[in-house]
Amino acid sequence: MSWNQHLGAGHRQGMPPPGYPAVELHQVTRFYGAKNTGVAALDDVSLSCPTGTWTAIMGPSGSGKSTLLHCAAGLDQVTRGRVRLAGRDITAAPDSVLTEMRRRTIGFVFQSFNLISSLTAEQNVAFPSKLAGVRVSKSEVRQVLAGVGLADRAGHRPRELSGGQQQRVAIARAMISRPAVLFADEPTGALDSGSARTVLQLLRTMVETVGQTIVMVTHDPAVAAGADTVVFLTDGRIVDRVDVPTVRDVAERLARLES
Amino acid sequence: MFQMSFSTFRERWELFIGAILSVAVGVALVQASMLVLAATGDPRIPPGLSRQAEDQVREGFVGAATVMGMTAFLAMFLAVFIVSSTFSFTVAQRRRDLALLRLTGGSRGQLRALLLSESLLLGLVGSALGVPFGVIAKYAQTWLLVEIGLLPESFSVPWRPWAVITAGIVGVGVALTGVFTASLRAARIRPLEALQETGGAARVMTASRWLFGLSFAGCTIAMVVWAQGANLIGAMMAALGISMFGAVAMSLLSPLVVPFMAWLFGVLVPGSTLIGLAQANLRDGVRRSAATASPLIVLVSLLLGLAGTFASLAAAGGEEAKRSVNGDLVVTSTGEEAERLPSIEGVAVASRQNAVDITITVEEAQDERVITRDFYTGIIAVDAADYARTHTLPPSTGNLDALTGATVFTGPARHADRIEPGRVLAADIGGQPLRLTVVGGLPETLEAGDSFLVPRQALPREVWAGAPTETVVQVAPGHDPDAVAERIGQAGVSQVRRVSEWAVERAEVAQAGNVKILTVLMGLAGLYALMAVVNSVVIAGTERRREFAVSRVTGLTQPQVVRTAVVEATAVAVIGLVLGCLVAGVGLAGIAGAVDKAIGVPVVAVPWTLLVAVAIGSVGIVAVTSAITAAIATKARPVSLVAAKE
Repeated sequence: MSWNQHLGAGHRQGMPPPGYPAVELHQVTRFYGAKNTGVAALDDVSLSCPTGTWTAIMGPSGSGKSTLLHCAAGLDQVTRGRVRLAGRDITAAPDSVLTEMRRRTIGFVFQSFNLISSLTAEQNVAFPSKLAGVRVSKSEVRQVLAGVGLADRAGHRPRELSGGQQQRVAIARAMISRPAVLFADEPTGALDSGSARTVLQLLRTMVETVGQTIVMVTHDPAVAAGADTVVFLTDGRIVDRVDVPTVRDVAERLARLES
Repeated sequence: MFQMSFSTFRERWELFIGAILSVAVGVALVQASMLVLAATGDPRIPPGLSRQAEDQVREGFVGAATVMGMTAFLAMFLAVFIVSSTFSFTVAQRRRDLALLRLTGGSRGQLRALLLSESLLLGLVGSALGVPFGVIAKYAQTWLLVEIGLLPESFSVPWRPWAVITAGIVGVGVALTGVFTASLRAARIRPLEALQETGGAARVMTASRWLFGLSFAGCTIAMVVWAQGANLIGAMMAALGISMFGAVAMSLLSPLVVPFMAWLFGVLVPGSTLIGLAQANLRDGVRRSAATASPLIVLVSLLLGLAGTFASLAAAGGEEAKRSVNGDLVVTSTGEEAERLPSIEGVAVASRQNAVDITITVEEAQDERVITRDFYTGIIAVDAADYARTHTLPPSTGNLDALTGATVFTGPARHADRIEPGRVLAADIGGQPLRLTVVGGLPETLEAGDSFLVPRQALPREVWAGAPTETVVQVAPGHDPDAVAERIGQAGVSQVRRVSEWAVERAEVAQAGNVKILTVLMGLAGLYALMAVVNSVVIAGTERRREFAVSRVTGLTQPQVVRTAVVEATAVAVIGLVLGCLVAGVGLAGIAGAVDKAIGVPVVAVPWTLLVAVAIGSVGIVAVTSAITAAIATKARPVSLVAAKE
């Protein structure tokens, strides 16, 4: 499979030391607003995602899924608790350290693709490496694009691509730096079912062939069922967890939480 | 980074086109003005002119140099202002894109570098366009300066390569200066903002906006206060400063005013649903509204501020002239003709003032060297007693009674030269040398005034007989001034005016020169502001495609969307006009204070015609531009835009 070919195991950037989970939240609280009137989007959450696993985070709207993802990725500052990413404590890391980690240690995939509209697919994929001052050859970029099935779309701009194709470019962009953790926020949310299936298969292959760690937020039980573990959140707290989930299993638990 | 800048430039050219054009126009004007300025430094006087005419040509050169200096300065100020307001708007519009760069690993330094390299590109492209524009501008400016009579027909501007290099450096410098604060703001964008769909909802009144806005407002107020006690040159400089600083302050603080004006707009224009939507958009898009209003604020405050200042000073000069003359009529004639005036029935006093063609030489010691200055113009022959009876301005030194025999009085124009009583000046009267003792001097006036007063008895008749002469006539008690004026006319002297008419005409003549200078400067400021206004309306409209599409999906027709956009843009234009008028009003208050100090009455002239023209013109342009932009932005089927994610 192409991932083995192009992103062989052992090439992970900033891998955690042996024995450490790739992502670890310890008693994390994230409070928004003033002391009396504010809300706790995360309330004493502890979570550990081992290296090479795919964790899905689910919950009703406003349960704190996205906040959890943002805190784990160092995009948002926690009010209390500690966050470790790839073995490194990033709780109070300065901007320069977080920037460096965004370049080498973590990758992002979003519902709205977030490609840079003025750059071609190829340029979008190569861009983070350029920011990091790392030279990537054109052939390397083409190989990664080929890995997501877009060998013939390298010169197209985002608006010339379908939603599924744009998302695959975004995955290629996230993967070219071979990050220790890939964060995905509703990666199939804006896609039709066919494109969604392709993207999910791509993610599964990455976990199985190169041991990619993935932390994903979703509200779709069918998508969550592709993960190794599903964690359920309500009112900023982890309330349930399923390992080796099935679609039915996930849908039932989610329905219970929402009722 | 440069590749990224380049592709952003190519992709979103409509964000940059206004900034490129303002840099290009700035470069062109700076280059042309410098070339003309350099050429005026070496005035070539056409042969065969009288000494007075030569003096006039020389004065014209000085005037042209002043206009060119002001043009270059104003062009740079406006270019920096427009580039910076365009770019800060651009940064606000691209907030999500820039956050995305941070998310994919861009550091703060890289974001700053991105914006600065964009501005470098902007500066280079703008300069490349500006240099050829500058050649055209050079011809246009020369033509204009000749046409308005400041420069002789034979004036030509030699080409100097250094002007191109300097203009290019100015262009890049203007672009970098203008973008600097925007780049700092961009660097503070947090990566998380890329994930929020409403990424643009950042605070409009940032700390730096408050800081700069209040500092500029503070400077403006300080200048207004200072102008109250300043002399007129000081007050004029202050008025220019107030217009510029006040405009920047108002632009920076305008987001505070927009919501209030939106509310007022809602109260004044009772609402249909569309007006209500426009009002809500105004309030919601404070950043956008402020960006459109700010070039209008600059335009209105500069135009009205400058025009009002010049008009006020001219009016004050006329008022002063009227007050300083104690008479009923002013007669213009030759010296010979004026001799008949005292004998006409009803004339009590006729103070004849002959502008004589003699030379007075003043020697000044400067750093152990002696510099001699020859004066040919503004030398007036008078009868001291008549002059004293018809003029109320008391001498600052000496007494007019002493002005008999070989003596001289310094006039208002020479007040600043401090030629003390007792000094002896050499004079050349039709080839005859004469030594004149200074016996006193008149104080400075609003108008430049005369240079020297000499007693008529000291001069041979042929010197004053043909000289252009103004005579102030006091009518004897019991006589009707109009009847006296008619009798003077019958005596063969054609030009007789009431003192008040004469003062107004004097003010108009003085104003004519100012109008010439203003035409050049205002044309420039107007051109600039127009570009900026059109630019911000276009940026705002283009970036709102999706919002317009949402309105249409909600049930509005395309014409309704366009109408809403026009109503909104018009309201913004009115906000800009009102705030600009406020700044201009503050500037005029400063002038009124200085005039009050100088002549004892606060004289202010409000340029109403210009105000109306600017109001109609700017509202019209904003309305038309927003209609066109909104029409183009709503051309595509709304569904395709609402569904589009990127």
